[in-house]
Amino acid sequence: MNKPSKVIVFQLNEEQYGVDITQVISIEKLTEITKVPKTSDFIKGIINIRGEITPIIDLKDRLQIGRSEYTDDTRVLIVQMNDVQVGLIVDSASDVIDIDEGSIDPPPKVIGGVSETFIIGVAKLKERLLILLDMEHVLDLDEVNEIKSVTNES
Amino acid sequence: MATVLVTDDAAFMRMQLKDILTKQGHEVVGEASNGQEAIDMYSELQPELVTMDITMPEVDGVAAVKEIKKINPDATVIMCSAMGQQGMVIEAIQAGAKDFIVKPFTSERIEEALAKAL
Amino acid sequence: METNQYIEVFLDESREHLQAVNDHLLELEKQPEDTSIVGEIFRSAHTLKGMAATMGFEDISSLTHKMENVLDLIRNDQLVVTTELIDITFNCLETLEEMVESIAEGGDGKKDVSDLVNQLEAIEKGEQPASKESENSSNTVETVTALEVDEYQKTVMDQAKEQGFQSFQVTVTLNEDCMLKQARVFMVFEVLEDLGEVIKTVPSVEELEEEQFDHHFSVLLLTKEEAEEIRSKVMKISEIKQVDLSPFSDRKIEKQENNQKEGTQKEKTQPEKSENNKQQSQKKQAQSKSIRVNIERIDRLMNLFEEVVIDRGRLEDISRKIGHNELIETVEHMSRVSKDMQNMMLTMRMVPIEQVFNRFPRMIRGLAKDLDKKIELEISGAETELDRTVIDEIGDPLVHLIRNSVDHGIESPQERSAKGKPEEGHLQLTAYHNGNHVYIEIEDDGAGINREKVESKAIKNGILTEEEAEKLTDEEVYPLIFSSGFSTAEQVSDISGRGVGLDVVKNTIESLGGQIFITSTPDQGSKFTIQLPLTLSILSAMLVNVQKETYAIPLSFIEETVMLKNDEKMFVNGQAVMDFRGKVVPLVSIQTIFEVPQNIEQNDKQDEAVVVVKKGDKLTGLVVDNFMGQKEVVLKSLGNYFKDVFAISGATILGDGSISLIIDPNALMKG
Repeated sequence: MNKPSKVIVFQLNEEQYGVDITQVISIEKLTEITKVPKTSDFIKGIINIRGEITPIIDLKDRLQIGRSEYTDDTRVLIVQMNDVQVGLIVDSASDVIDIDEGSIDPPPKVIGGVSETFIIGVAKLKERLLILLDMEHVLDLDEVNEIKSVTNES
Repeated sequence: MATVLVTDDAAFMRMQLKDILTKQGHEVVGEASNGQEAIDMYSELQPELVTMDITMPEVDGVAAVKEIKKINPDATVIMCSAMGQQGMVIEAIQAGAKDFIVKPFTSERIEEALAKAL
Repeated sequence: METNQYIEVFLDESREHLQAVNDHLLELEKQPEDTSIVGEIFRSAHTLKGMAATMGFEDISSLTHKMENVLDLIRNDQLVVTTELIDITFNCLETLEEMVESIAEGGDGKKDVSDLVNQLEAIEKGEQPASKESENSSNTVETVTALEVDEYQKTVMDQAKEQGFQSFQVTVTLNEDCMLKQARVFMVFEVLEDLGEVIKTVPSVEELEEEQFDHHFSVLLLTKEEAEEIRSKVMKISEIKQVDLSPFSDRKIEKQENNQKEGTQKEKTQPEKSENNKQQSQKKQAQSKSIRVNIERIDRLMNLFEEVVIDRGRLEDISRKIGHNELIETVEHMSRVSKDMQNMMLTMRMVPIEQVFNRFPRMIRGLAKDLDKKIELEISGAETELDRTVIDEIGDPLVHLIRNSVDHGIESPQERSAKGKPEEGHLQLTAYHNGNHVYIEIEDDGAGINREKVESKAIKNGILTEEEAEKLTDEEVYPLIFSSGFSTAEQVSDISGRGVGLDVVKNTIESLGGQIFITSTPDQGSKFTIQLPLTLSILSAMLVNVQKETYAIPLSFIEETVMLKNDEKMFVNGQAVMDFRGKVVPLVSIQTIFEVPQNIEQNDKQDEAVVVVKKGDKLTGLVVDNFMGQKEVVLKSLGNYFKDVFAISGATILGDGSISLIIDPNALMKG
């Protein structure tokens, strides 16, 4: 996939992450989540985004780097991939920045505890590293369904 | 002002009448749900005025007026009629009813009837 | 009361007539001289009166009766249409509407109408005593002279005179609303015959018995009593408006013939008019070739159809498995037909948005008055059709938005002329179809949305930070007024500050599967655009509570709801069961099966709420915490992200913006 040039910056734990701005529809405050029974743990449920039923994923849980505590800073990134609209819970979302393609390195094996399969690359900014996520993989349906089918037996 | 016995087989109508009468300062001393009850209650309560529905089970209003007039020839009875009961109304008037009011009642009409009958 | 079965018809027709009154009043205000409009209003009021009286809603009938009196005076050119009069009539209309709606909600339709009645009476009496009196006196002249005696009667009179009897012509006028006139006449005769002898009546006794007279009749009475005595005795009878007495003499005989003719002519015009009315209303009925179908029937049909759709799915599965070509073709054809049927059924629920728009002209009129603004409302596309459910729900949001435009958008005439705009503000309400959507637009030429105010308010309320605000475009700022707890009005005004914000508007629209957009230009106005889906997948469902969560169970599956006592719950092989009409029905706890967290303290409750669902002849009891009631909900898919979620067929957005999952009872069937 193409390397992003404009990304939305958000925090998970203490790390900074980026996602291609063209994939993000909006940033929302967290509203009450309706749980959907018998689905994967990292799917927290659904929320109402302007009349659209939108599944909500705890991104930390999905990346297997812990679980989100909900605070006033907690935001939901509404992203769209392949006709599916999904909300991602992040610790906070602060910025939109331009990234020079030359500053992006290929992903290391593991960074911030996140497996390389979820990562496109790492952008080196002045004083920090920005982990660029591969949304397609994060939202991979087959994997989601696989996880769900395990819990579906009861 | 006056003591009134309300007679009607429909509780709804009794309620309505009672309401209107009470608002106009009268005292509803009894409620009868058919003609026989009205006759019995009339001798017991001796109200100054009786309102009498025409169509009722057991003893109808016209028969009840006749009976009440036997108990007290000066009894004041006002018939409550529906449209289309003209003949019955006339029979009741002949039997001695003072006046009649036609359902649906208006408060003004009841006020007039009572004022004129008493 | 046995009238209950007519209540739906009564409500429908009452609403129609009230709407007609409303429309005609607005028309009348523009053309106060047009008495034909008054006639229309009169007719609606009259019909309402009759219906309400039959149904026993006496407040409605007494109010409409008074309206009728006043309207009648206008119709007969005895009263002039004034703004004041229209205002009062509008107030009456409003009260009538409230009463009708209260009946619709199961109330008694009662309301204290005495105030309005008094106002109407004041108009009726106060403003035209002169004309009325002159009318009466002319009446008297006309009727008093209308007696004729033949030779025989003359002889009787002469004899009576010798015996000291006087002859009076007594003319009795009954109240116009007098019912059972024959009985009343009978009472008058009883009194008169007690006082003397009646030797002649006009009209004839037969005509009087058949009620073939208007409101007055005359008799020739031979009596020894004084005129005053006679009058007061007759007046003792109820519903007598007037008694006129005059000594009778033959001299009048010649004159009377002409007058009588005149009298009969007058009477003739009356029935003709009412026949005209009848014809007109018949014509109206013939024009539209539609029938009234109770929406519940259509809904029941839809519910049945949902079951067909389930079987259709099953059939498609089976035919695919068997692979028999003819079977596949037949099933495919059936699927197509049933999809068409489904669409037809959805269009049966479509009604023109006119119903909703209709109430706005009056509302704007009232608002403009209250706020001292001049506003012209233009409506277009009222014929645009929308699903019934949407029509029922969209009214309130529109009211809210329109109030908002009138209150905050359109400026006072002074401000407007200072800005160089016409004093009269313009509000445009438009509805139209486009693609799969219906759009409703509310556009005003007012002040527009004040970005700074919205911004600072949003920042103050913590909806936005200052840094965020700087980055936002106008288009991103405006929608903030829909955030919860937001209100830009500096003063909470009576009009739009009703304790609910525009967020409720947004939630309602979204629960209908719609969206709302705003555009605004400072000092040129704002436009709110509501986008709604053309057809909806609508489901009648019962809403139930399980702990803090709300679930919807499709009505088509529900056999019955039961409150189950604790000791009625039994266990068979460890499976909880209940007895339901002699059948052993397994119980499934929604809380357990959906792993709903326990967050409400459970105090030993005695009864369990059970929704008995059926599939074929299988029954299962779903145990919930509470029944919340039935509701039409818009079915939404959970989206592609979830494939088959266990026992959930979708979700719906409730009126408060929250989501409720729709249970698929198929998956929960046991045994």
